[in-house]
Amino acid sequence: MRRFEYHRAETLEHASRLLAELGEDTFLFNGGTDLLVEIRERLRRVRHVVDIKQIPGLSDITYDETRGLTFGALVTVGRLERLALVRQRYPNLRAAFASLGSIQVRNRATVVGNVCRASPSADTIPPLIADGAFVHIYSRTNMRVVPLAEFFTGPGKSVLAKGEIVTGITVPPALDNSGKAYLKHGRRKAMELSTVGVAVSLTMEDGLCNDIRIALGAVGATVLRAPEAEAMLRGTALDAATIKNAANKAMEECTPISNVRASADYRRDMVGVLTGRAIKQALEAFA
Amino acid sequence: MNINTPIEEREFKIVGKSVRRDDVLEKVTGEAEYTGDVKLAGMLYGKTKRATVAHARIKSIDVSKALAYPGVKAVLTHENVPRVLHYGSPHPRSASCTKDQYILDDKVRFWGEGVAAVAAISEEIADEALDLIEVEYEPLPAVFEPEDAAQPGAPLIHEVGPGGNLVLDPVRVNRGNVEAGFAEADFVLEGTFSGGRPHPAYMEPNVCIADWDGSNKLTFWTSTQSSFMVRGILAEVLGLPLTKVRVLVDHMGGGFGAKQDCFQHEFLCALLAKETRRPVKMEFTRHETFIAGRARHPCKIWLKQGFKNDGTLVARDMKLVYDSGAYGSHGPGVTIVGTTAATSLYRCENVRLEGRCVYTNTPINGAFRGYGVVQSYYALDIQMDEAAERLGMDPAELKLKNVVREGDIAPSGHPILGHGLEICLQHGIDVLDWKTLRNRDRTPDPRQPHIRIGWGVGCEMHGSSAYPGIKEQGNATVKVNEDGTVTLLTGAAGLGTGAHTALAQIVAEELGVRFEDVGVIHGDTDVVPWDIGAFASHTTYLVGTAAKMAATKVRAAVLERAAIKLQVSSADLDLSEGTIFLKSDAGRFMTVAEAMGPSRGIPAANIVANGTYEPTKSYSFAAHFTEVHVDTETGIVEVKRVIPVHDIGRVIHPIAAQGQIEGGIQQGIGHTLTEDYVIDKKTGRSLNAGLVDYKMPLSMDMPDIETIILEAAPDPGGPWGAKGVGEDPIIAIGPAIANAIHDAIGVRFHHYPITPEDILKALREKGA
Ligand SMILES: Cc1cc2nc3c(=O)[nH]c(=O)nc-3n(C[C@H](O)[C@H](O)[C@H](O)COP(=O)(O)OP(=O)(O)OC[C@H]3O[C@@H](n4cnc5c(N)ncnc54)[C@H](O)[C@@H]3O)c2cc1C
Repeated sequence: MRRFEYHRAETLEHASRLLAELGEDTFLFNGGTDLLVEIRERLRRVRHVVDIKQIPGLSDITYDETRGLTFGALVTVGRLERLALVRQRYPNLRAAFASLGSIQVRNRATVVGNVCRASPSADTIPPLIADGAFVHIYSRTNMRVVPLAEFFTGPGKSVLAKGEIVTGITVPPALDNSGKAYLKHGRRKAMELSTVGVAVSLTMEDGLCNDIRIALGAVGATVLRAPEAEAMLRGTALDAATIKNAANKAMEECTPISNVRASADYRRDMVGVLTGRAIKQALEAFA
Repeated sequence: MNINTPIEEREFKIVGKSVRRDDVLEKVTGEAEYTGDVKLAGMLYGKTKRATVAHARIKSIDVSKALAYPGVKAVLTHENVPRVLHYGSPHPRSASCTKDQYILDDKVRFWGEGVAAVAAISEEIADEALDLIEVEYEPLPAVFEPEDAAQPGAPLIHEVGPGGNLVLDPVRVNRGNVEAGFAEADFVLEGTFSGGRPHPAYMEPNVCIADWDGSNKLTFWTSTQSSFMVRGILAEVLGLPLTKVRVLVDHMGGGFGAKQDCFQHEFLCALLAKETRRPVKMEFTRHETFIAGRARHPCKIWLKQGFKNDGTLVARDMKLVYDSGAYGSHGPGVTIVGTTAATSLYRCENVRLEGRCVYTNTPINGAFRGYGVVQSYYALDIQMDEAAERLGMDPAELKLKNVVREGDIAPSGHPILGHGLEICLQHGIDVLDWKTLRNRDRTPDPRQPHIRIGWGVGCEMHGSSAYPGIKEQGNATVKVNEDGTVTLLTGAAGLGTGAHTALAQIVAEELGVRFEDVGVIHGDTDVVPWDIGAFASHTTYLVGTAAKMAATKVRAAVLERAAIKLQVSSADLDLSEGTIFLKSDAGRFMTVAEAMGPSRGIPAANIVANGTYEPTKSYSFAAHFTEVHVDTETGIVEVKRVIPVHDIGRVIHPIAAQGQIEGGIQQGIGHTLTEDYVIDKKTGRSLNAGLVDYKMPLSMDMPDIETIILEAAPDPGGPWGAKGVGEDPIIAIGPAIANAIHDAIGVRFHHYPITPEDILKALREKGA
């Protein structure tokens, strides 16, 4: 493993200052489950890491019916996965959390780290986008809130400016008339990066689809929405034929690549299959 | 010596019981010392600079910057290491190995080959120094597929060998009259089959430590399955007598066959230590275990067989081409074993086989559990399934009709004793109620209409020992200590299989002492008797017999000693659970400790005996039955149940044997469905040299395995009829899955791994 300097930040201000002062090859060190692997595998050039795990106030989880679910930057995937509220109200998030790595990895990895790594195949991003989550960002001059759907600018890239730190994520409240699902496609049941991930969050009113968001993972430079497919579904009763047509539309809306994990064609096919299945699974909430 | 006495029927006290393994406490508490745990004062860390081109001459190599880098102590290139042509797979007793390697050469033959090595005061510094070595390559045209390498005019990868990029002359087997057989056939099946490049991906990456002392003696810790071979080849290449090379290995995190080569980094480690006069450690990264380790040979097979309408097999014509990668390693052995294996499994009088092994500019393929037979039996078993389909017969019935029988000539050339395949198949058919299963209602579950269910069966047999390729020898030394405890000295490696426990059980059983009273010393070539290495499913079979022979001798000596002390004839004595007693009067007894210990006027006894056993071969057998679920929309195949029925003769340690079977099935599921080490066919670069994209099934992916071990066909060659179980379980599961997929969706696959994309493509073609 390549050598690097370790710094421990006491406050957000301290961390932000270290990021600015230590120069280009400085990175925040959260759970480290991405960062350390990247250093070890020489995927990223790192001279300094700034550990944020001792910063107070970033480990809270709160929920209320108006604001929704908010969790801090240091909250691990495992903690959220085990939360009764998540299990009951956010089955999509629960599925994503439970599918990430292994129990050991989840007890170390944070959701914010997963989001900030900005991998197109990250498991927590599609359901968070489908749920309309927001990211809270700290900088020494101001705080800002960015919709997650606008957070990513490319593979591994986000709108974060140098010195900015994500302090937490808010997921809107889970309404009683909502249905949610996340389906991950891979070859293994654990320790698997998504070949394709599809999240669907929808609300129903009087038997019709009031709103729906579809987010597609690992089939583009960032996690993608499928706006045309969504439009085809809104206002319908989500019958089998409409779902099929929308799933086909989602296949057109994604932009997968071929690599050793799967071919672009296969990924596209899976977007079709999983979109259909995810909608049906989301509808099971009303069954 | 070959033991051909009938198998002794007796009541066992220790053999056949799942005693607590001798290494279990150390392992679960983390105390067990593996090679990577060894730390020596002043130890340096070595790293290998690896080629980023598949085939090239090295025009120049500039190490000045690396040498000047603070903390770097030595740099080796082809310009300053001895140039000795040597074997990669150090089997000096085998006719089938290839001298085609140098420690470092001025030629690169695959992407990832070592071109230089650095020793530095830390692993990080050594790693950083690698980037400072400047290598200028003159690229040569490269070949990545055996078909291309075998073309006339293809670029030659080696100057040695038979030429035409062949690793060895083609292996040919002819029996009976194939043309006459085909003339007799009612129908002929012909097909091509192929296998991918699975990697054993053992848990413990290769690691070694070299240390020279003031007398110019090399002590060498290394994670190897064959320490005496490493000793032999290091001594040969470094020009040392065997007394000046000591190889040590305690616990290992697996090897699966692949850790029986002598690797390039092992020579480099010894030379870096020599150059710096300091101990040097070299440890592979996971990435290096792929590019510089050993995988299974990819294989292309053409198979044509003639059948009668009653299912009799009348002719078999088969050509196999194994891809050796850039060096010979185990290519010859694999080609010979994999090809000759095809004389058997299913009986056929008229056989013509031709096996080739071809160099390509890809990473080296070597020994891996199932040794060439995984490939050939995949083809044989699937085509037998196809014959059943053609005949409208139950495949299990047809296989049962055709499997080898007692006295048939085995691939080794001698008649099979203790054949067990028939009984394994029949047993599986019975316990599963296979006929009912085959006639089940096949309507898909309306809740999951895209899931199709299939059942398949596959068969295999595999030899214990590498005979006749290598005439092997098992050795053991047994000492009885003055307190009645017993020490077994063995050269057999402890890969993690529990072999030492089995050997201790055998000694305890034969000698008549408690299992807990037997200690096992292993892993030091200066101390233990010579051993060929842990491979070919032979440790329990051949070292076990040697240990039993040595135990027989010390038992007699102990009884002699007791007879003097008790003033009776030793013939009247028996020994059980550490107590020696008069057969006619169990009230007159003494413990082994009392017999061994000193008494007035008699010093303590020194009782030591050796056992040496040179076997031929025995065969173990299995039929694997499996249920798969195929998702016709995603192409994902899930193996739901496996019922492996094995005959391995006498079972020494049931849980360990079962562990071997379950592990083999896990690896077999892997190479059949998900595992393939992929080499880019344009550049020769590895595309998934790591565990993120090399996909082994993990515990959560494992199906229910309901292991059945029969003891119906013991072989007189092993201790109390025991046979090997190391390699068998990886062979039959592959064709069983392929056959089950056919049963589920009506599509035949002739290759592995069978990927979801393959399934969808085939379903589309079938639908079209
Ligand atoms: C064995 C294994 C299996 C895995 N399996 C999966 C999987 O199935 N699915 C999946 O999606 N991922 C998987 N991962 C990847 C990884 O675990 C996740 O992405 C994890 O959520 C990252 O969180 P972390 O806290 O460890 O991040 P870190 O590694 O600490 O950080 C990741 C990146 O985010 C930045 N960062 C962290 N916190 C902040 C912050 N507060 N503000 C701004 N930037 C920040 C870091 O600088 C770094 O660039 C796996 C990793 C391993 C090692």
